[in-house]
Amino acid sequence: MRKIAVIFSGNAPHMRTFNEPKYKQYIEELIYFPEFAEADLSRFDVLFIPSQLNEGLLMKNKEKIQTFADNGGIVVAFGPQPWEWIPNQQWEDRPANFWWWLEPGADSGLRLVAPEYDLFNYITLADATWHQHGVYWPVEGAQKLITTADGGAVLYVDKVSSNGTWIVTTLDPDYHFGSYFMPATERFLDGFLPWLAKGEI
Amino acid sequence: MKNILFLDPGHAFGLENRTSPFMSENFTIIDQYVFAETDLTPFKAIVVHDFIDQIYMEKHKEKIAAFLNEGKIVVWAGHLVTPWLPGCAIFTPKEIKNHTDYEISIVKEHPVFEGVNPDEMTYNKGVAGFFARGSHTPVPVDAEVLLSLPEDTPITYIDRTTTKGTIFVHSGRDLFALRMQSKTTDRISTQLLQWIHDEYERLQGGTN
Repeated sequence: MRKIAVIFSGNAPHMRTFNEPKYKQYIEELIYFPEFAEADLSRFDVLFIPSQLNEGLLMKNKEKIQTFADNGGIVVAFGPQPWEWIPNQQWEDRPANFWWWLEPGADSGLRLVAPEYDLFNYITLADATWHQHGVYWPVEGAQKLITTADGGAVLYVDKVSSNGTWIVTTLDPDYHFGSYFMPATERFLDGFLPWLAKGEI
Repeated sequence: MKNILFLDPGHAFGLENRTSPFMSENFTIIDQYVFAETDLTPFKAIVVHDFIDQIYMEKHKEKIAAFLNEGKIVVWAGHLVTPWLPGCAIFTPKEIKNHTDYEISIVKEHPVFEGVNPDEMTYNKGVAGFFARGSHTPVPVDAEVLLSLPEDTPITYIDRTTTKGTIFVHSGRDLFALRMQSKTTDRISTQLLQWIHDEYERLQGGTN
């Protein structure tokens, strides 16, 4: 099992999500964000960065996070990221498509473009389908796993921008599960965390 | 300087608040982590956002209690997960079996919810569940309950007895975000604002 550290914001949704036993069994340590700058990351394989973190702390720790990846680590980033701290980050903010599913037979707009990837032995496209807050346009050489119909990345893996691996998604199930809303987000986490701990990345 | 302090969690969803004229006209907005060093003397009220770092708030709970005991106001809309707010129980999610379990009722007429259609609190484009999904129960003994979910589950209350000040608690999201949606719920943000100013007059006027 990979040793996973999670940056812990102390907000209510994260308090629920990352203390939930079925997820916590895969988490080696919750690192409280105000103490992150002093934390020793050397024993971890994965650094998990949830959505909705404090901008000031995030930008202050940008280099430390990038160094972790450059040392061969796996960095996971969830949710909309309006600030530049991911290598080769090209985030395009889009109005959230909260309501697509109210129309019978409507298309969520999501495409599974790498069905052979091991993650999809753990989750299905339906488990990643609720709404998006925007898309990424990853650097050439990165692999998109889930995209919008126009090819914007909703989930991608980048092994070219650092010596390690960046797994980046616009999805924010850490927030929705933690705020007791939207069951698909729970199914996503049910598969994503075991994959992150033991799957093929 | 605006005399209502708004603690900004600095999160991605909150970006709009930093450029909104409504916010800048009515609040002094500070990053949550500056709270410990902030002189609270000029402020009537503190608004604590639902994305706040509650580990940090618990470390500074004495500062919150002292502020309230000066006859001032704290507005909390969120899920309480650490005991930083006097008298407020930790959040309990409601068991949801059906969308009607999310139905909001007005328990008591109050200026903050005057003219607000309860259905527009319950439903957003026909979908229920956005407004509140649980409660801070038990509420303090003499608390004034304003809104509830079914089975008398209180979601919004005012507590004037736990401290010398007034605590407004809502177990949903930031009520000041309810604006410009062309619904009666838009009234909540401005009416809550007015209520803060009126309540402060009452508290400082000694007519408690």
